[in-house]
Amino acid sequence: MSENKVTIFIDDVPYQVSSEDNLLAGVLSKKLNLPYFCWHPSMGSVGACRQCAVMQFQDKDDNRGRMVMACTTPVTDGMRISIKHADASEFREQVIAAMMTNHPHDCPVCTEGGECHLQDMTVMTGHSVREYQGTKRTFTNQYLGELVGHEMNRCITCYRCTRFYNDYAGGKDFGVYGSKNQVYFGRQTDGALESEFSGNLVEVCPTGVFTNKVFSTHYTRKWDLQSAPSVCSHCSVGCNLSIGERYGSVRRVMNRYNADINGYFLCDRGRFGIGFVNGEQRIRKTKGISQQSPVALTKLDVAKVFSHFSKKNFIGIGSARASLEANFYLKNMVGAEHFSPGYNDDEMKVAAQHAQLLAANNPPSLTAIEHSDFIFIIAEDISQTAPRMALSVRQALRNAAKAKAAKIGIPSWQDSAVRTIGGNLLSPLFLLQSTSSKLDDVAEQTLLLPPEQLSTCLVALKAVLELVEVNNNHNVEQALTDIAEQTSLGSKERQFVCSLYKALHQAKQPLIISGTDHVSAETLQDINNLMQALKSKSDVTEPALIVVPPSCNSVGLLALLDEKSLSVEQVLSGLEQQEGNYQGVILLEQELARLSDSQVKQLRSSCQTLIVLDHSQHRLTSIADIVLPVAAVSEGDGHYVNYQGRAQQFFQVHAPVLPIQESWRWLDNMAEIIGVHAAELHAGTNEGAKKSACESLRQLHQYFADFLKQWPTLLASKQAGTQQAATARMPHRASGRTAQMANISVHEAKTTQKIDDSLTFSMEGQSAGQSSDMPFAWAPGWNSNQSISQFQAQINGQLIKQKAAIFIPVANLLLNNPRWEIAKQSHKVSQANASDHQTLKSLRYVQQANIYFDEWQAAHTAEFKMLQPSNLMSISTSTAEQFGVKKGQWCKIIFSATNDKIPLVSQSIISQITINKQLPETLAFGNFSLSQLLSQQLEMEISLACDQEITDYLSHYNDGLISAKLSKGAVLERLKINDQTIPIRLVSGGLDDA
Amino acid sequence: MSEQINNNDLKPLTQWVNLQQPLAFDDYCQAGGYQGAKIALLQHQPNEVLEIVKNSGLKGRGGAGFPTGMKWSFVPMFAEGDEDAPDNKYLVANADEMEPGTFKDRLLLEGAPHQLVEAMIIAAYTIGANKAYIFLRGEYHLAAKRLQQAIGEAYQNHWLGGNIQASKFCLDLYVHTSAGRYICGEETALINALEGKRANPRAKPPFPQVSGLFGKPTIVNNVETLCNLPHILKNGIEWFQGIAPNSDAGSKIYGACGRVKNPGLWELPMGATLREVLYQHAGGMQDGLQFRGLLPGGASTDFLVAEHLDTPMDYDSIAKVGSRLGTGGLIVLDDKNCPVAMVLNLLRFFAQESCGWCTPCRDGTPWAVEVLARIEHGQGKKEDLDTLEKLCDFMWIGKTYCALAPGAVEPLRSALKYFHDDFLQHIEHGCCHYDPASIAKRTKIAQSHIQHNNAANSSMAGQ
Repeated sequence: MSENKVTIFIDDVPYQVSSEDNLLAGVLSKKLNLPYFCWHPSMGSVGACRQCAVMQFQDKDDNRGRMVMACTTPVTDGMRISIKHADASEFREQVIAAMMTNHPHDCPVCTEGGECHLQDMTVMTGHSVREYQGTKRTFTNQYLGELVGHEMNRCITCYRCTRFYNDYAGGKDFGVYGSKNQVYFGRQTDGALESEFSGNLVEVCPTGVFTNKVFSTHYTRKWDLQSAPSVCSHCSVGCNLSIGERYGSVRRVMNRYNADINGYFLCDRGRFGIGFVNGEQRIRKTKGISQQSPVALTKLDVAKVFSHFSKKNFIGIGSARASLEANFYLKNMVGAEHFSPGYNDDEMKVAAQHAQLLAANNPPSLTAIEHSDFIFIIAEDISQTAPRMALSVRQALRNAAKAKAAKIGIPSWQDSAVRTIGGNLLSPLFLLQSTSSKLDDVAEQTLLLPPEQLSTCLVALKAVLELVEVNNNHNVEQALTDIAEQTSLGSKERQFVCSLYKALHQAKQPLIISGTDHVSAETLQDINNLMQALKSKSDVTEPALIVVPPSCNSVGLLALLDEKSLSVEQVLSGLEQQEGNYQGVILLEQELARLSDSQVKQLRSSCQTLIVLDHSQHRLTSIADIVLPVAAVSEGDGHYVNYQGRAQQFFQVHAPVLPIQESWRWLDNMAEIIGVHAAELHAGTNEGAKKSACESLRQLHQYFADFLKQWPTLLASKQAGTQQAATARMPHRASGRTAQMANISVHEAKTTQKIDDSLTFSMEGQSAGQSSDMPFAWAPGWNSNQSISQFQAQINGQLIKQKAAIFIPVANLLLNNPRWEIAKQSHKVSQANASDHQTLKSLRYVQQANIYFDEWQAAHTAEFKMLQPSNLMSISTSTAEQFGVKKGQWCKIIFSATNDKIPLVSQSIISQITINKQLPETLAFGNFSLSQLLSQQLEMEISLACDQEITDYLSHYNDGLISAKLSKGAVLERLKINDQTIPIRLVSGGLDDA
Repeated sequence: MSEQINNNDLKPLTQWVNLQQPLAFDDYCQAGGYQGAKIALLQHQPNEVLEIVKNSGLKGRGGAGFPTGMKWSFVPMFAEGDEDAPDNKYLVANADEMEPGTFKDRLLLEGAPHQLVEAMIIAAYTIGANKAYIFLRGEYHLAAKRLQQAIGEAYQNHWLGGNIQASKFCLDLYVHTSAGRYICGEETALINALEGKRANPRAKPPFPQVSGLFGKPTIVNNVETLCNLPHILKNGIEWFQGIAPNSDAGSKIYGACGRVKNPGLWELPMGATLREVLYQHAGGMQDGLQFRGLLPGGASTDFLVAEHLDTPMDYDSIAKVGSRLGTGGLIVLDDKNCPVAMVLNLLRFFAQESCGWCTPCRDGTPWAVEVLARIEHGQGKKEDLDTLEKLCDFMWIGKTYCALAPGAVEPLRSALKYFHDDFLQHIEHGCCHYDPASIAKRTKIAQSHIQHNNAANSSMAGQ
């Protein structure tokens, strides 16, 4: 938003408000109370609910005035309005009274109770006496899946849900039905909502029509939740969350406003994926440490075990889901030359390229993405791997319509008007990928190619850029024909590159997005070359570049890597070759998912001591010598670094039951004994100078800053912060805190003392809004998340108390190690290989990304497991013809490897078939995974499955769903039992806290 | 058509109407049809036609009375090769005649379909539209059939399609039959419905003239409005204004329904008085009935009563006495029918037809129905009249998203004014005086009550 401020008079008081937004936004930005429903700061105005009526006056002498809806009225200099005018306030009360004619008034049993925008607005207008005497209309509710509940009788018909779900997020399976006062919002038939953003309905709905179903099953009022500001641990976008907890179990995730990143919306993985914290797979006890005291595990117990390892060498394997602090600590503890990020050789090469791109380009924030007018996405299905980013991409595509509207004087906040004018007009989006994606419907062009061939288009685009001197479309086609002759560029590819070039040429704020998970290092190098070429062109605006890594702290880990960092292959060979040299391996929140079973065996056998720090069980925890249970995101403090390099702190929501503690506390316990091997210690300090324990994150940072050279370059500005006034984790209305333990003892328990951060475990402290990191959003009269407008400098602007963002530098040190360079030769060879294989007619199978199951932590959530789809594979038309199969048929597909290096393996899958006309013959994609041995070139044999095979598959599939349902029930039962014996921690520190 | 037309020149709209068998193409041409279109296409530039329509003083006959020429002049015109020029513009004839008590467009659609086709050619030519739609009320099956036939004939004779009459102008004309919602009479809701979306009115601005159907410049005109065009082009402005020298230009099809002797439609010079229409043409009230009041232009206009009968039926005069000319179709109320029941019936219609977009209309109209139903059934309270007054204010112009709710309120608020005593009677007597059954039931209840009391008293006395 801009600085165009004008003076307006509200009830004769002058105010400075932005002239680029509507009057309602202006009024709210001045922290004045004006009720509203259909308007949403991010979705604009439609003028449906008529709730924000005010009187507008021509001039000072105008006494009569005219009633206008603030949300559809532009702000003009010197305008005079009245909120308090009797006509307007009476009308606003009447609007509520009219909406309430059909509202069921079931607030006591409503999940929204206590944070209901409708309740707030009703009180705000003063409506308190019901005059309507008729019967209420009723509806039948729908089953909308495991995540969102539906109670249509509560609906006040503000249309926000459909405006979000359909218009904003591009959902297709939801809509408006009926008319008059029987308007129905839902699906055509019962069924799980298909959008990745369905959870936002909970926050978008001003009342309890759409509720968080997971929260409802283990429910507590908002005022009884203890909350803390957190950061999403499920992808690299780094959305800000407010996690709510009661009695030691995490209850729900709500959006925490951040003007640069998530704004008002989250994806469903971020909102519901927190289920893993309460899950059955959590590790709650140590393994390999004998506990002396019957009461608790002590530091002494830990010291005893680790005393054998004093001054011994360990290999440390960090991970992209562990905090920056833990990774940094581990790297320095074991020494840089013994540190591995847990990547294999290929991934190390990708990481090296990623670091290089990150060092040369500043990735834009999500808000900046929304200003782009050209987007080109390469080989990453961000709708599944970074869904919130895909939502921003969708908004960016509306810029063409907004520009068209602006031409005839319609401001962008006039949502329905802009959509009328825009029609189907979208800014260009180009997708170059190997699977179909949820963004296909808004893409100008989509090109599907096997992963190895994606580069050809990039190389061609670069070549075109170099060949075509001036903006001359004829030249482009000519140049492409020339290039096509030299390379194997098909006509589809040629056409794609041609339109890509033309659109890029006209763009004023172009953006290129790629990823690291399904992208080869060679492709990233080609992107780098393309960026170089674009930089040197004067007639093309240099695009911004985003590379989306898979995990919440991938970039944080990347910043720690240097030329000495080891790949997993190096770790394995290192262990074999220098057996005596290493005491063992420390795995930090690392499940090493890409390791084959034989490699895991190799690791176990060559490693004397395997120490695993993790919060959930996986195949390595069961074979480890020592397992240390660590805190999940909601149970600890630390920093994650998002795809931009933005370091964000997540705060402890509740202290976990010991011996669960943050990884960095475990590492601190170990470092006291094993010592610190870092070669980068400040001069004058001795190696292994770790003497006293770090009791808090603050002390840890102080220790890092004092002793370790690299730390100040990472999070330097963080240290400047002085002690803030403490903020309460609980709202002032929190009830029952003093009675929590009453079933055990009537004496009031002491509250947990905070030591890590500036948030208290009580309702005492300054109010939430005074903090730069708000644990929850609440303002007087505004109990719902909509209260955020009370804390923004202006609507959609930064929070008033927002601290400056911290970006950590990513140096390109990996490439100093020639091992991670891409050999010029290999690039060409791989291309040649690709064409070779084409002639061989072998096939590449690609697994589609999936929002629920791609992230290891979130995939443990029982509700997600219940959403597991049955197998579905897309094949090309010619493949379908070749095997004589049709769309929708259940088939048996036998994959076998064609690469002679690998012993012949094959795998058979029962799957439904769908036919994608755009698919090249050599590519197929589906939603199931294949054995790792089959990841490369394949042969495929498709035949119709017999009835028995289908029945077997489906019964196996249903068993999975049923067991997920059972495990959900089991978790819930355990949590409810736990509620009876509330864990009380006196200090939120680690082992031995007072 | 009850009255024979004597002077065809003064009844341009209905002169060619034949409900039994509308004029086929050749007959229509012979009668003088397609001459207006010929003049427009071959003798004038679009901007010249626009000037003629502007100067003719033609006002929209759909109800609002907005000057047609001015409406057209908002359509952006582009020079050839202009980059900003849209790939198309649209003309839509609003033939979604769903206003209760109104049936004038049906006469024109069924009786002279070629007249509408010709009119749309002229209008489309003027605004530069190459695609035109007739948005037809779904129930008008006969009109749909006859329009299709007329359009087919027009294509055959090069009055539609490419290069019409060897000019450069092209036009495709389609009939779209509505799924049936009153709100589709609102032009932007109509456009939404035509696009296959929900029939909710759109935000204005942008007005359809700038961004309408599929985001392109669009003009939506009422059928009767359009049907004036061939005659204006053919006979000139002076002739058109001469039809009704003392009022708004041109002629108007007035109608009457209710318990009059002779309900029907009559094309009269604009500005005939209510009395003239009611007594001279509709023949006055049926025997034994007295005149109570009337809605001058369909269900969504305010009641007028005996004192207003000498008001000329043009836009300004009717507005001056507190109502609207609307469609010019009278709905006449007599003294044997309950005004409360009539208003309840109307409000039920409007509550049913609310599109459900804005709160005052969606939840206000059913509320008014609930209160009115209680009053009509003898369960009303005096406070209910205040509630009704409040609801009238609640749904008034400026507070709602479109004109549906204010229109719904008009008969209610004027009934509260002119028939206040009837409302009071319902409330005080607990029954409807116009309904013999309800009075009888009421008497029965009252008597049983007395008997019951008597019995109780006697038993008590016995103790």
